[in-house]
Amino acid sequence: MKVTLVMKPATKSFIPIEAESIVPKNFLAGTDLSVWRGNRELRLDEVFSISVEGDADRVEDVEVVLSGDTSRLKRVGEYMDGGKITILGGIGMHCGNFMSDGTIEVHGNADGWLGREMAGGTIICRGDAADYCASGYRGGRKGMTGGTVEVFGRAGDFLAESIAAGTVIVHGDAGDMAGAEMHGGTLVVHGNCSRPAANMKSGSCYVFGTAQGMLPTFRKVGTIQHEGRTLIQFTGDIANRGKGNLFVKDYKYLD
Amino acid sequence: MIVKDAVCPFCGCLCDDIEVEVEGGRVVAVTNACELGTTKFMGEKRMKNPILRDGNQWKEITCDEAVRYAADMLLDAERPLLYGWSGTHGEAQCVGVHMAELVRGVIDNTSSVCHGPSILAIQEVGHPGCTLGVVKNRADLVIYWGSNPIDAHPRHLSRYTRYAEGFFLENAFRDRKVIVVDVRRTETAEIADEFVQIKPGGDYAVLSALRAIVQGKTETIPRTVAGVTREQLVRVANLCKSAKFGAVYFGLGLTMTRGKYKNIRNAIELVSELSRHTKFTISAMRGHYNVYGSNEVNTWMTGYPFGIDFSRGIAFYNPGETTAVDILARKECDAALIVGSDPAAHFPRRCLEHLSEIPVVQLDPYPNATTAFCNVQIPVAVTGIDAEGTAYRMDGVPIRTRKVLSSDYLSDREVLLQMYTLMQEAKGQ
Repeated sequence: MKVTLVMKPATKSFIPIEAESIVPKNFLAGTDLSVWRGNRELRLDEVFSISVEGDADRVEDVEVVLSGDTSRLKRVGEYMDGGKITILGGIGMHCGNFMSDGTIEVHGNADGWLGREMAGGTIICRGDAADYCASGYRGGRKGMTGGTVEVFGRAGDFLAESIAAGTVIVHGDAGDMAGAEMHGGTLVVHGNCSRPAANMKSGSCYVFGTAQGMLPTFRKVGTIQHEGRTLIQFTGDIANRGKGNLFVKDYKYLD
Repeated sequence: MIVKDAVCPFCGCLCDDIEVEVEGGRVVAVTNACELGTTKFMGEKRMKNPILRDGNQWKEITCDEAVRYAADMLLDAERPLLYGWSGTHGEAQCVGVHMAELVRGVIDNTSSVCHGPSILAIQEVGHPGCTLGVVKNRADLVIYWGSNPIDAHPRHLSRYTRYAEGFFLENAFRDRKVIVVDVRRTETAEIADEFVQIKPGGDYAVLSALRAIVQGKTETIPRTVAGVTREQLVRVANLCKSAKFGAVYFGLGLTMTRGKYKNIRNAIELVSELSRHTKFTISAMRGHYNVYGSNEVNTWMTGYPFGIDFSRGIAFYNPGETTAVDILARKECDAALIVGSDPAAHFPRRCLEHLSEIPVVQLDPYPNATTAFCNVQIPVAVTGIDAEGTAYRMDGVPIRTRKVLSSDYLSDREVLLQMYTLMQEAKGQ
């Protein structure tokens, strides 16, 4: 079954729409769903032009395709447990929160908290991801606990904050404090980033570019060969009695 | 008439030993207050009546008309923002939270642009803090990190640290050491025993390095960290470890610079590390006299200290998303009520552009920068001068502010209650 949702132009387009009802599982029972614009509850068909092709009995057979200006659409795919969501443009905050299975593909940019606290499944972002991609929630000890997030553009600050398990791959640069508080999982940044793996306890963080503002509390171990690259291996963060692995191609201290 | 033991409603110190002389319904002299507090007590040029924007002019309106305007504005909005709250008393803040819940709006206070990151860090790793009295009487080492109390909290040094007597210190002035950490040599740095000058953006690295040194892992630390030599870091770590009781006070130099709440988390974890060797505490130098109170009130009423979104009927909190600067910059609200703060004086231009496009009502005794963005402004009594109410000192101690003179102005709480009543009637409650 393919559900296509085309966003209608809104008079108050700047007010975000919370659409946690947009998960493949919900469309097995039809399209009588609602979303919220500010404090107003709206029917799904007030916000989207909806078309459904085919039918399905299992969530794995449901694909939801979103198009139009979806950049202020929040919480799409929250608690998703199967199926596929394809977003042809950009997507608002909290896309894929807590998802445990299935695939979300974003063809544009993703706003903050993409894949927050996700436990499984796959998120692919073809554009840039804003701050807190694959991170935890405020005050939470564990962020991502499983699954994969792959960003083909750049990522913002606090990428994969508090990651406990799973894999995060960013093909461009990442912002400040990528992998802060990480205590498990794998983070790979193909470009540059600053202050990676701050206060890490465990896990592995790879920076194939330059680690700017490298923290002084990582102990140099030596060099390794990884996927045809020579990387410098550090362990830390010793300030946090951490035993994580940080691999960088190059680094610069703020001395 | 002289009013003794008045409470100064300026900064988070809430000095409660102020003497105010009142003559002819106005304050004519103030004793014991600092320059900032004196200026607030002696403030003049208050707005007389509520005003309504009428084209390019202001029109005076009655308080009832202004209250009705505000109530209608909030009821019509899809995502109203209720912002400020740090410059008013706790009882008014309570009404504000009820209003936000009723209209399903977003309520945020000024901590989202000052010590909000401190609260985020505390939510991650806790808060080993204490009252100002404990520091005054026990601390033999005080660290001011990213704060300049001589300018911002002028009596902090004389009442609690550098120049204060201490019950458990024989000669407090001699025995108490002061360390200042900052990116520039401030006036406070001039009276410190040790000044640590950090390169801008280097606080996190220095805090990490200190944590490692306190653990005895000095050999890993490079020769300089963000402009600070390893020798000085070792000296500071030793000063901390040899203190009987240390207290760290941090300001916006730590909360609002690169890394924000991670800086504070690192500072708290340094304090926890030091507490394995001696007794150490850490506290925030809160700015507005009742910003701490707005966090307290919000927390006990909603579970969250600031940036609370009631759009869905329940409280949702996510600084960076539900905080005033972010909402305004992203044009995500369609009306704003401002109480006890002046966002136009502090917020980025993009936020003010949106404020200029939506209806705005402000409660404030004085014309200020935000007045230019208002549709309606309602002058109110000043808490601690012609209104009384509860405020929370920077260390979390609630203090009842006193009314030193009477005026015809309604307090924030009285005006907000009128609005809330109208809103309840409209909602059929």
